[in-house]
Amino acid sequence: MGRIVAVHSYKGGTGKTLLSVNLSAAYAKKGKRVCILDLDFRAPSLHSIFNLSGSEYWLNDYLNGACEIEKVLLDYTPQCSCDGTMLVGLANPNTEALRDMSSKDRKWEMRALGRLLSLKNSLLNDMELDYLICDTSPGLQYSSINAIVSADVVIVVSTIDQSDIEGTKRMVGELYNLFEKKTAILMNKVPVEFLSTPVNRDSVYKRFENTHTLPIMKVIPCYCDVLRAGGTKIFVRDEPEHSFSRHVEEIARKIENF
Amino acid sequence: MSKTLGKNPAVLLEKIKESLDRLNEKMEVFIELQKNERKQDFVVQDLPEALDVMTLLSLPDHLRKTAVTICKLGRATAEEVAEQTKRARAVESGYLNQLVLMGYLKKERKGRKAYFFVEK
Repeated sequence: MGRIVAVHSYKGGTGKTLLSVNLSAAYAKKGKRVCILDLDFRAPSLHSIFNLSGSEYWLNDYLNGACEIEKVLLDYTPQCSCDGTMLVGLANPNTEALRDMSSKDRKWEMRALGRLLSLKNSLLNDMELDYLICDTSPGLQYSSINAIVSADVVIVVSTIDQSDIEGTKRMVGELYNLFEKKTAILMNKVPVEFLSTPVNRDSVYKRFENTHTLPIMKVIPCYCDVLRAGGTKIFVRDEPEHSFSRHVEEIARKIENF
Repeated sequence: MSKTLGKNPAVLLEKIKESLDRLNEKMEVFIELQKNERKQDFVVQDLPEALDVMTLLSLPDHLRKTAVTICKLGRATAEEVAEQTKRARAVESGYLNQLVLMGYLKKERKGRKAYFFVEK
């Protein structure tokens, strides 16, 4: 059966969305059937990255119980130049929708958790998808914790920012561990000089691992090319030879065996 | 009595077993409540509580595992929950009944089986 992967972080701007998109593209490139969902209802962004205007229904509607998931998913396969399948579920970026999603009560969130949990059946079993990648909102948000509870694997993205590292450490102890989730950490945007020699690289891995007491799945350097692209490129598709793409493909392999 | 027994002893035995099962479940809840010394917290609630993720986070570890499993299964018996959590059926039965008392789960009997679920 396929797996649900939630990509989460303590702080915003760690690179969750870019990694989620490229991870999905990496799986699709390998011939896998993959679906990526935008569960960041506070600041939706997948519509912009994929340059999709949305369909009649959004993920908001699915969680509201207004439609089934098939009505929400858009087929991005023709644009992803891949051997597999790539489906996208968008969050509604309109201000009214953001306001609506921020005012949901606990009962609604409980039902939303049930709807997310049922995706395992509808997407992984019935539609036979290999991976469901959930891009989430940073911190302790209902939608993010719902995704974490539904996920088989949680990938936490952190930068070297001290507040980010400390927050991530707290979430490991007070969130992921409490739900007994398979969790791994990705250190992103690490200055290149930290990784310039094997000795430096080893000491960086050791330092992060000692802090987090969890496996560090990958340390990704900070690439000006990635920043320069401004979230308009899917590196795995557009620049497959770029080091960033190689890193993402290695992460995809590691998740398969995690 | 002897007439019923003469007619179908299997039915009578089944009824006795059913009563014993129910009695067992009640005992398990009672033992669990005493063990936790929190009887006063588990007053039957008039209004059902929402079993949302923040509530799941606030539950003690042993109950959280049971509650998350019910959320995943939707509707299940203590035995089905025990299969997932790899804990004893009797233990899960105690935890499930505790969650019912706390107002987070509902319980419904169908024949000999008791089903637990989250009321949506």
